[in-house]
Amino acid sequence: MAVDVLIAEDEPSILKSLDFILHRAGWSVETITDGDAVIGAIRRHRPRVVVLDVMLPRRSGFDVLKQIRADALLKDLPVLILTAKGQAQDRRTAEELGADRFITKPYANAEVVDAVRELMQRARV
Amino acid sequence: MRAPIGLRVASRRHALGISQAALARRAGISASYLNLIERNKRHVGGSLLLRLAAELGVEVGELSGDSEHRLIAEVEETLADPVLAGTTPPSAHELVAQQPAAAAALVQLHRAYLGATASADDYADRLRSDPLLAQLLHQILSGITAVRSNAEILEEVPDLDEAERGRFVADITAEMRRLSDVARSLIAQFDVDARARRFSPMRELDDLIFERNNYFAALEDAGEALRAEIEAAGPFGEAALTARLADGFGVGVRRTPEREADAEGFPRPYHFDPARRVMSFHAGATLATRQFQLARLYGELSAADVLEREVAGAQLSSAVSQRLTYRALGSYLAGAVVFPYARFLGDAEACRYDVEALRQAYGASFEQVAHRLVTLRKPGAEGLPFGFLRSDPAGRLTKHFPLPGLPLPSAGHACPRWVIYGAFGATGSVQRQIVQFADGSRYLFVARAQARPGGGFTDRAVPTSIMLACDVLQADRTVYGAGLELGDSRHDVPVGPSCRLCLRRDCTDRQEEAYMAGGVPAAVRAPLVPRRFESGADD
Repeated sequence: MAVDVLIAEDEPSILKSLDFILHRAGWSVETITDGDAVIGAIRRHRPRVVVLDVMLPRRSGFDVLKQIRADALLKDLPVLILTAKGQAQDRRTAEELGADRFITKPYANAEVVDAVRELMQRARV
Repeated sequence: MRAPIGLRVASRRHALGISQAALARRAGISASYLNLIERNKRHVGGSLLLRLAAELGVEVGELSGDSEHRLIAEVEETLADPVLAGTTPPSAHELVAQQPAAAAALVQLHRAYLGATASADDYADRLRSDPLLAQLLHQILSGITAVRSNAEILEEVPDLDEAERGRFVADITAEMRRLSDVARSLIAQFDVDARARRFSPMRELDDLIFERNNYFAALEDAGEALRAEIEAAGPFGEAALTARLADGFGVGVRRTPEREADAEGFPRPYHFDPARRVMSFHAGATLATRQFQLARLYGELSAADVLEREVAGAQLSSAVSQRLTYRALGSYLAGAVVFPYARFLGDAEACRYDVEALRQAYGASFEQVAHRLVTLRKPGAEGLPFGFLRSDPAGRLTKHFPLPGLPLPSAGHACPRWVIYGAFGATGSVQRQIVQFADGSRYLFVARAQARPGGGFTDRAVPTSIMLACDVLQADRTVYGAGLELGDSRHDVPVGPSCRLCLRRDCTDRQEEAYMAGGVPAAVRAPLVPRRFESGADD
């Protein structure tokens, strides 16, 4: 069945708090920690928005994003990129690869919720 | 502006206590003409200026003001530095005329400032590209993200039940504990870095090898004893080594299709697991590698006391230096086992240091043989003195043993004309050249590049190039001198140590400007149409 948000993030306590705040904002949430498994999870859960960390084990978030944009069925899926490193260069890479939003860690919870809400609206249009 | 030569002549003459008439007589001119010169009423130059300078015991430049001109130019450059923008600089001419010592000090300070700025840039580059630092930074940012996010939930969500609250608090506590550890290793890292800058461990090892002339008698003795033990198990080679390791130390040897990672996660072509007592070799490891590394393991297991004594006697300042030295001496010992000194020296002399022939005779690699050749320094039984260098295809020098007199760079890169680089273009075959340095010293360089065989198509290693260097006077004792005009220097390849340290202005292969102490380096890269470039806003 379709969910609202899929979170791909490998740090357990960040994943837990993201799961909590997005749930609390009223959305259904699925989580995944392995970069290689993200595309499969997207096909399975058909999320409306993906929250994607850059530093994932086995396959980087950028690589996953590139795969999403290259896939005929998934290419319009709204993606929010989270990153904790190399701010300026990462932002450029994310833009080039077609990320919809970009948030650097450490963030305020409200920033993430607002960004996801905006992407949800975009998804509906 | 005409330099006041007359003033300088007069003041120098006064300082020496010579009369105008006396100086005029010695310089072969009339006293009244000298009087006009000293009052700057007559131009002076050419041979007369030379004679005056000689009589006054000074350089012509001092009288003509050329040395001053250089200083003025340097002061102008200093005053034009953007860091002084917005200030009202004094006139460089006046400063040099009135306070030459202060002007020189100003220039010296400016040079030191430029040097410091350059090294600050280097450090900034290093910080940006340091993988360990990047990893620690990532961990810190992740930790802060988790703590902040959890803390916000605790603060902003009023209706959390006890269990949920407890979970978030526990997460924060755990993250904080992890952050403390990360902070501690970050601090330790900076601490290590600061110490490493004071004493480079590689430098200490180099100094030790240099001081001992790359010959370690105790290791040679131990090597001979070990060789005898191994040969008791059969003819020297992989089989006998394997048998001795099994009998003496319960160590098994196996081959693996994949590279095995060591404790640090580094995928090695060979690897010893002390807990399981297994030595593994990756499928691509050659017979030469297996033989040498088994000898090295046998040496480390049987002669640890000898290695420990050598390392302890070397008075090394850090644990890293001790580790590097122990490792280097372990390899030395393996060399002594695989190539017993007296026999190897005899064979080397007999085949005139033909490295390829010695490889065949000892089942060894080019690098192993070349490495052993530079250790033939036993007092009273010396072989030919060789220098040794190893380079990767990026030109970086990764290993070196110096030859007295020959300026082998210890790191960075060498002269692009050296055959150590040319050898990459003919991988697998031995290349040679006779080189001449700017001071006239001549050497025979012999190099061979080789790619380590991989374990399969996808397992390809970058090639390395090995070079031996010997004085051209001894090149006739080697097979590599044959057919070369050793006595005729007209066809030598003109080389230098590296561009930065090379004085050859006429070199067509120069890649970088030379570093000249005190002088302004000549421009290597310039537009086709010559033009002057002013630094800063000149008026």
